Amino acid sequence: MTMTKYLFRTALLLCVLLLSLTACKKEDPRWSEADKKSKEAIEAKKQAQESGALPKPEEGGSFNKFFPKNEPGFEMIASQEKTGFAEYKLKKDGKDLAMIAISDVANNPQAADKFKSSTKMIGGFPAVDQGSTATAVLVGGRFQVKVLSRDASFTKANREAWLQKVNLAGLAAMK
Amino acid sequence: MSQSIFELINELPTSGATVMSLKALDYIVPGEWQNISGFENMITLVTGESDQAMIQQIGERAITLYNDPAEGYQRAVWLYQTANSIGGKLGAAALANKIGESVSFLSFLEKITPKADKAQAIDFSIKVAAEIIAYAKINGIPGDGVAEFMGAVGDYGKESIMRLAALTCFDGLIPLGPDFLRKIEEFISGLVPTDLTSNPAFSAVSSMIPGGGADGQLGFVQQGFNSIKGWMGNFVSSKGITAEGVVGSLKNYIDIADDKLDYVAGFLDATTNYFDYTGVQTVGRRLIERAVAEI
Repeated sequence: MTMTKYLFRTALLLCVLLLSLTACKKEDPRWSEADKKSKEAIEAKKQAQESGALPKPEEGGSFNKFFPKNEPGFEMIASQEKTGFAEYKLKKDGKDLAMIAISDVANNPQAADKFKSSTKMIGGFPAVDQGSTATAVLVGGRFQVKVLSRDASFTKANREAWLQKVNLAGLAAMK
Repeated sequence: MSQSIFELINELPTSGATVMSLKALDYIVPGEWQNISGFENMITLVTGESDQAMIQQIGERAITLYNDPAEGYQRAVWLYQTANSIGGKLGAAALANKIGESVSFLSFLEKITPKADKAQAIDFSIKVAAEIIAYAKINGIPGDGVAEFMGAVGDYGKESIMRLAALTCFDGLIPLGPDFLRKIEEFISGLVPTDLTSNPAFSAVSSMIPGGGADGQLGFVQQGFNSIKGWMGNFVSSKGITAEGVVGSLKNYIDIADDKLDYVAGFLDATTNYFDYTGVQTVGRRLIERAVAEI
């Protein structure tokens, strides 16, 4: 085999290899765009918080005292506690029923937008349903309290009832 | 940052040695671990949500949370990947996950060198330390006070409990035998800081282990082991887990032609990456749980 042929074949092989590698890399158009935009959004939020244009989120631990505790027959298990966010799992007889979360919208300001079209109040605060599993209230324009069903037996009415077991007035006073 | 969370989850293999070995442990933690393929599927599975607009919002928020280095999720994934990728790896795991359903033990046998017990004990306790640190990176320290925090830790389920089951069986019981906890305790309590600093697994993750130096880090690793040994001993006895039982179940999924336990352990170490695999799933689940609550 001449040198040219050898080089040609090697180059061809490389092309095939590269093509198959590219084909293996799963592009996912549904999320790729969001991935790119998120990096700009993270930077913009950081700058807005540093300049004071956006408030700094409260510590997640400061929300713990507002969650319902000691509800007979139910277990409330602390699940996550991050800056501006705390979440508990609601269980009964060992089964997951729902998640209850308090989040500071300073972390994600557009979360407050949906409450502008709210048509109902829960515990004196604007409330919305989201998708088929979530009901939320916005407390003091700043803190979102959300109950998410994790079992078919836990209905929208249950979500609304448990939202009112959260100390919403206490949370509003924290603002 | 190398990969986004949706890519990490989309690229989790759905067959191969890791998946087969985890399926083999299902009898210990029935139904907890699922072979979830794809980011959207995971969102639906975790939230029970089928509304596409909602799924889009949840996914976008989860991606943003993951991409923010200050949130700690990337560090957790790095810990799971790094603590998994050292010690005895032959670069065979990637291959084993690509060759499909049938994984032949014999094809790897000649490449397997069983790890010395001391090295195995150190690798085990470094995975425990990595698990503790990753937990705090992912979840924070949830709850008011120690009792609530212990309740949070005690609520391990799904892929997290499977990871601990695999740690128990694949890194403890099979390589070290039924008294693995006592053996590890002996090795770990007798370690000096240079034992750690000369260990490749420790060197790789040491920047993330608190303690302000090798002395303090050794203390952290020892405390980490002490904090999990009671739970793990109870886990083994209450579920009646034996090495023979685990190997018997593995044989339903993987062609293991040999009952020499240290070779089975070496084979699993070389061909599976359960720590990384279930770690990515745990981070994905927690991100999705937070994202749906924050949107």
